[in-house]
Amino acid sequence: MACFDELTAAQIAAGVGAGTFSAEDVARAALDAITARDKSVAAFLQVTPEAALEAARATDAARARGEKLGPLAGVPVAVKDTMNPVGTSTTCASRMLENYESPYTATCVQRLIDAGATPVGKTNMDEFAFGSSTETSAFARTNNPWDTDRVPGGSSGGSAAAVAAGEVPLSLGSDTGGSIRQPAALCGVFGMKPTYGVVSRYGVVAFGSSLDQVGPFGRTVEDVALGMNALVAGGSDPLDSTSQPCDTDFLGCLDEGVEGARVGVIPQLLNAEGLSPEVAAAVRAAADKLEAAGAEIVEVELPHMDAAIAAYYVIGPAEAFSNLARFDGVRYGYQEPGCATLAEQSSLSRAHGFGIEAKRRQMLGAYLLSSGVYDEYYFAAQKARTLITGDYRRAFERADVLLMPAAPRAAWRFGEISDPTQMYLSDVFTVPINIAGNGGISVPLGLGSDSGLPVAAQLVAPSFGDAALIRFAAALERAYGAAPVAPACAGKGGELK
Amino acid sequence: MKQLAEVLKDWEAVIGLEIHTELTALDTKMFCSCKLSHDDEPNANVCPVCLGLPGALPVPNKKAIESIVKAGLATNCEIQKHSMFYRKHYFYPDMAKNFQTTQGPIAFCMHGHLDLEVSGQGAAERPDCAFGSGEAASLASASAGATGLSTMKTADAPRAGSSQGTYDTALASGPVRAEDGSYTVPIRILRIHMEEDAAKMVHVGGQEGRIADAAESLIDYNRCGTPLIELVTEPDLRTPEEARLFMEKLRRIFLTLGISDCSMEKGSMRCDGNVSLRRRGETRLGTKTELKNLNSFKALHDGLEYEIRRQAEVLEEGGIVYQETRHWEPSRKRTVVMRVKETADDYRLFPDPDLAPFDLTDDFIEHCRSEIPELPDEKRARYEASFSLRAADAAQLAGDPEVARFFEEAMAASDAAAKGGKATAADKRARTVANLILNELTGYLNAAGTDVTIATAGIAPAQIASLAALLAEDAISSNQAHEVFGIMAETGDDPAKIVDERGMRQVSDDGALLPIVEQVIANCPDQAQQYRDGNQKVIGYLVGQCMKASRGKGNPKRFNELLRENLA
Amino acid sequence: MALTTEDVRGIADYARIALEGEELEQMTAYLNDAVAMLEPILAYTADDVEPTYHPIGDLSNVMRADAPDPAHGLSLEAALGNAGASRDRSFRVPSILGDGGAA
Repeated sequence: MACFDELTAAQIAAGVGAGTFSAEDVARAALDAITARDKSVAAFLQVTPEAALEAARATDAARARGEKLGPLAGVPVAVKDTMNPVGTSTTCASRMLENYESPYTATCVQRLIDAGATPVGKTNMDEFAFGSSTETSAFARTNNPWDTDRVPGGSSGGSAAAVAAGEVPLSLGSDTGGSIRQPAALCGVFGMKPTYGVVSRYGVVAFGSSLDQVGPFGRTVEDVALGMNALVAGGSDPLDSTSQPCDTDFLGCLDEGVEGARVGVIPQLLNAEGLSPEVAAAVRAAADKLEAAGAEIVEVELPHMDAAIAAYYVIGPAEAFSNLARFDGVRYGYQEPGCATLAEQSSLSRAHGFGIEAKRRQMLGAYLLSSGVYDEYYFAAQKARTLITGDYRRAFERADVLLMPAAPRAAWRFGEISDPTQMYLSDVFTVPINIAGNGGISVPLGLGSDSGLPVAAQLVAPSFGDAALIRFAAALERAYGAAPVAPACAGKGGELK
Repeated sequence: MKQLAEVLKDWEAVIGLEIHTELTALDTKMFCSCKLSHDDEPNANVCPVCLGLPGALPVPNKKAIESIVKAGLATNCEIQKHSMFYRKHYFYPDMAKNFQTTQGPIAFCMHGHLDLEVSGQGAAERPDCAFGSGEAASLASASAGATGLSTMKTADAPRAGSSQGTYDTALASGPVRAEDGSYTVPIRILRIHMEEDAAKMVHVGGQEGRIADAAESLIDYNRCGTPLIELVTEPDLRTPEEARLFMEKLRRIFLTLGISDCSMEKGSMRCDGNVSLRRRGETRLGTKTELKNLNSFKALHDGLEYEIRRQAEVLEEGGIVYQETRHWEPSRKRTVVMRVKETADDYRLFPDPDLAPFDLTDDFIEHCRSEIPELPDEKRARYEASFSLRAADAAQLAGDPEVARFFEEAMAASDAAAKGGKATAADKRARTVANLILNELTGYLNAAGTDVTIATAGIAPAQIASLAALLAEDAISSNQAHEVFGIMAETGDDPAKIVDERGMRQVSDDGALLPIVEQVIANCPDQAQQYRDGNQKVIGYLVGQCMKASRGKGNPKRFNELLRENLA
Repeated sequence: MALTTEDVRGIADYARIALEGEELEQMTAYLNDAVAMLEPILAYTADDVEPTYHPIGDLSNVMRADAPDPAHGLSLEAALGNAGASRDRSFRVPSILGDGGAA
């Protein structure tokens, strides 16, 4: 039979359900593909063959007993290394957690398992999700499967690269300021950040608690919808105070079409400084495709956009400082040996356990929360948040979905952006959506006319109107086709026997 | 150092309290479903949430929120419908996340008050307290003075500071003194907020578990995350006695609400005090010190008393009181410096993004109100009105819900018994029952030690009712009642049975007593004459002779009456 | 007003991140760049705009029942398993000395 990377998650689940192949066969194919491809891509920090085969065999046994299989039966999935599955390491790509073993399982991971998925491993990321290129990982450099001299984006770079390389059809990332949508754009796959509160954050190591949201990567919109259905199954999570019920059937939105629907474009964004011409052209072309499919294009304004990056780099570091304060080397995590006092132990454990970007964000957060500074910055940032949220609400009075760039440019070379504050600007199109809490999805639009690398658009939906993301992404997919496996990886290993 | 009374003639002490109470009546912690327990082995009740594991998230305990709303309602607070949890950061491993989840400028309960009644010796410690016009101190003015904060919107108050620095004494309505020298004073409560308790740390390798020279510390997170409510008073207290009375009154209220066991001994109720001095007549506040380890009513009183005397001495010698935290050492009867606060702590407080805000509904608040039992003050008033009890007795009975329940059950038994037989006036029975509970039973419990409570002592309310009936009928004397109580506590027998079996029933029948009286008068002509000459005291001797002649069974009160009649 | 290395040392002390020498200098430069980038936010001072702390719409009063759930509890082995130092049933830390607790 052919290489398993030719199958979508939906096809794998259907095949396993029908007995065309076993979940174990699929798991072995995926592990084989990872072995063959990850030498050059390095998407994974940890591959868990035993856990994968055990889960796959359990699925096969359930089928043999005649049980109804879950919607992700036998689908190999990879999860970002921020997510706790019991009994595996969860490092957040940080020395701080190098030897940390999760004593419990994150709700999002559990829901994939409950849907029958086969967990194959943990993916690389920027340390504690601080970054836009996965370069701040303490352990590995993940390469863009389309050009291994280039970054995969970040922070969920490993999860995006694993899907783009055809190592798994479905993966999970977390998105605080674009960490799903931006690497999806750079790796040429679909990546969805749902509305804040749709997916439980319980068990996902926090970066910015009011910004973080978990979502799936896939090479088809159907696979993303399948992943979303599994993540929201069972309703809101009683272990996450900010999670909310979502009764959307995402698969049901695939074929709704866009005839008569209104797609908002924001001229100010398409003319933004720093946006590469090929991305601007691709997004304009995508608008034309949607118009050709029967949608109406309307121009809308987002007047407070200029404050979004600043608000984000106030709120994000403030919450990050607070969330990462717990890493003091006492209960878990790196502990500096030979310290005479507790203060020395925590200061050196944190100094040596955290990488530079994690220290930068926490220092910035600690400063911004300090007396006097807090009122000027944090309070103002939350006011800006109110205005930015209002911008989107008003925009959605005129449009059913917004179309805009996801990343300002295609994947760049390693080391090309070394100044941290320059790096922060690579999130300029994704950050505002986290500030407002809305959902967004990165949609691959083929290869850029100048770079020859994947370029993407971003769709943004009204708060809790995430169905629109699937609906409009499916319309673009009909125009552009599904996301291909990166050519250098396609067909390498992974034969499905 | 000068004595307190001396100091308070020249100086006014300004005292505020911060009182932490663990909600021990709950089954689980504040933000996770771990069991609450004081006694389990270290780290037996921990989970990802209360250990602060990466990725874990908090979910508030509904009953804890109900408990604090009840506490607020019972202390005349305004319940704030809109409030949020905040994170208060400090690096110390007793907080698993290195921040404590607590509340910000708006707490669930704001601007309450409790009225204190101060009598006896403590009442003399307030020379500023004038005799009142007879009208009670206006509580309306106390709450009116506090509206400055309550009108502040959340948005305007990213982090409001304590009101103490700008405190204006004019806001507090003054004490009102009654004819008997006692006085009543309203003590304002700034706020009661919800938070989580810290882990327990044991410092080993040093002397007496002191931090300073410990080689290492061991941490037990069982207590970490225990629901804790913190009450902060306005600095309205002026004497150590007022502080003690406030704490006692609050404890009685919380016990009655059933939200905590309020054990200062076990640390489920803890108190810190702030105290500063100023010359009488001065309106500006002096520099305050913060006192820790005031963990009994006595420690609270004595620690404040010492600190007031110490500050007075420092100031009178021209010295400076430093803003510092001091530790009360009960064994040495002194306070010592723990640390000097050079700058205000910067806890980097901000709203906890992991917790949804609260918008309490009227239904929620009314539901909490409906579950509040009769509070000690109401109960005391009812006891005074329905049973004509003395105010002090009524207060003592009403103050402890277990004691109050016992009293009411004993009265029910007494009423039931009274219906059948010879009716003694209800008031008299009530006073007798109250006396027995407050003297005999309380004395017995005190002697039995802390493990024995009124509920576990094995004495039934009906037994007290029966004993009271014997007293009320003059069937036994009060001396005999004490004896019967002792036998009853030991054997569990009914008092009537004890009295009958042991032939203790005293004789009050004149037919039996009169011949004895006549005989004693005849036998003691000298004493009889002395009485007739006006020496009243000699009657005691004659009663004694009568008792002797009756072999202790005659009613001494009746002997007394009969002697006087026959000697007249 | 730019942050000095002494300011940054103070923040580092508070945040329990030991920073010395070149790293302290670089951190100071970074913080000044980052704070400069945040300048647009200083304009958002309007009194009539309420801050949004939670991007969760009208969600409020999220609470759970006061019922123990042993399923989420950790065994002693799991609780202490990731600790750098423990003794008997407790986590162990070196001498606390001048560290100030609160509350």
